[in-house]
Amino acid sequence: MPLVRTERLTKSFGALTAVNEVSIEVEEGSLHSVIGPNGAGKTTFFNLLTGQHTPTSGRIIFDGHDIAGTPPHRVAHLGIARSFQRTSIFPTLSILDNVWLAAFARQESWRGLAWRRADRYPELTRRALVVLGEVGLSEKAGQPAREISHGEQRQLELAIALAAAPRLLLLDEPAAGLSPDETQKMVALVRKFKGRYTIILIEHKIDVVMTMSDRISVMHFGSVIAEGTPREIQRNPEVRRAYLGGVPAS
Amino acid sequence: MSKAWLAIVAAVVLLPVFVRQAIATEIWIFAIFGLGLNLLMGYTGLLSFGQATFFGSGAYVAGYLLKYYGVNVFLALGVGIVVGAVLAAAVGYLCVQRSGLYFIMLTFALNQMFYFTAYQWTTVTGGEDGMPGIPRPSVLGFDIHRPLAYYSAVAVLFLLSLWVMKCIVDSPLGKILQAIRENELRAEALGYNVPRMKLAAFVVGGAFSGLAGVLYAMLFGIVPLESIGFVFSGNVVFATLIGGSGSLYGPVIGSFVFIWLSESVSSMWARWPLLLGVAFVIVVLFFRGGVVEAWARFWIWRAVRRAPDAVQADASR
Repeated sequence: MPLVRTERLTKSFGALTAVNEVSIEVEEGSLHSVIGPNGAGKTTFFNLLTGQHTPTSGRIIFDGHDIAGTPPHRVAHLGIARSFQRTSIFPTLSILDNVWLAAFARQESWRGLAWRRADRYPELTRRALVVLGEVGLSEKAGQPAREISHGEQRQLELAIALAAAPRLLLLDEPAAGLSPDETQKMVALVRKFKGRYTIILIEHKIDVVMTMSDRISVMHFGSVIAEGTPREIQRNPEVRRAYLGGVPAS
Repeated sequence: MSKAWLAIVAAVVLLPVFVRQAIATEIWIFAIFGLGLNLLMGYTGLLSFGQATFFGSGAYVAGYLLKYYGVNVFLALGVGIVVGAVLAAAVGYLCVQRSGLYFIMLTFALNQMFYFTAYQWTTVTGGEDGMPGIPRPSVLGFDIHRPLAYYSAVAVLFLLSLWVMKCIVDSPLGKILQAIRENELRAEALGYNVPRMKLAAFVVGGAFSGLAGVLYAMLFGIVPLESIGFVFSGNVVFATLIGGSGSLYGPVIGSFVFIWLSESVSSMWARWPLLLGVAFVIVVLFFRGGVVEAWARFWIWRAVRRAPDAVQADASR
């Protein structure tokens, strides 16, 4: 059974249909990539999944329940976490606090919310440090998030999503704006988490997508024009015409 | 106990030696008011221009009960806190739906609504004349009519308020509010109900304002109409900004500077608000973090001047 399934999911902004009858199924534990040119509606699709936008029509079945139109803070509690294309962190807070806040949000009970010192949650702090260790930021845990490099902020972005212990992880161009070196690091990270989480990945770097994904959906002008394994996608003539252009099929 | 607390306790003990007791008392009352606003403005990033709503309403309701029903002092304080919190919940509910300029204007407009209600409702509030004759009942048998006795009572409540606020800002809630100030979208995506958290900040801020209002009424024996006016709302914003918004002790320092200037210097120089204006301009231009930031920068500057080599070595390491 797929963990998440969309049925003819549609979002219109006035005359513009940003997401047009998108039906996608993502199997538990798989890495499903969404590719397509800029403006294809990929990020809008994510915003629908996380509740930032309410769909115009269609359904989102997550774990057997229709969650379309659920507000973002509730979606987070269902176990859907995301990273943002444009780095979205808490700049003046420490790196540890950035991640800690994500972990705290997913607590079963918020006991001590307004009176217990935040540093008296040893279990949460430990979990936050483990996540920081996984993305390679544990040494900078005490630094304010605004002081680290762009590449490190992208790692933090990923750590914040991971700290929520998600069942479904939505990664929106985790390597956006990174140097080749940093991109390699990020790809290695995502690869490490493949299998541990169910991941939907938006990415522009085709080679990365082709080597990592279990399945790929190709979006163009809001619609899914093709779906399949990396191999099938590479062979699909329509995809090559619309998107891949000069990339030779291997 | 940390250095900051030692400094505050020392200030509480020494202040009445250096300034008139009534002024000293007013400083700590205004500091409680500022602590409440700071949770909203400094920590949550919500600039409320209507805090006098809760200050004045708490003062009027508790003052009325004290004057006509001779209620117990603890009940009066409790009522002030509850009135402040409940009104803040109502006003906050309306305001957190909007953000930015609209939010500020809404807090201001609702403040004006309460002000004109107090202004018109002369049978209860006394309108322009205020509500005089607020008694100062004794506390557990202690007479607090003497200025120093009342000062001590207020000082204890102030320290208690400061401690409560410290607990709140150090708690998960304090972190969540700062997260909302930094990045509302992300806070929501993490699973925090942003409007509800903002409302929580409002309610706490309202409770602190209400408490300060009752203490103010008992200090002067009157609830003046100004206590619910927008100038009062503005004053607490100025005081908090001058002291340093977003830092726990900022509003305390700000209250000292503000009240001391307005009460001491005003008797010598009628144009004293000019000084306040200059202080405010300096803060906005150079020290966004107020006196607290200026203080921190001074120590860094001094350390650099004393031992430039050591600092440079430290920086290059």
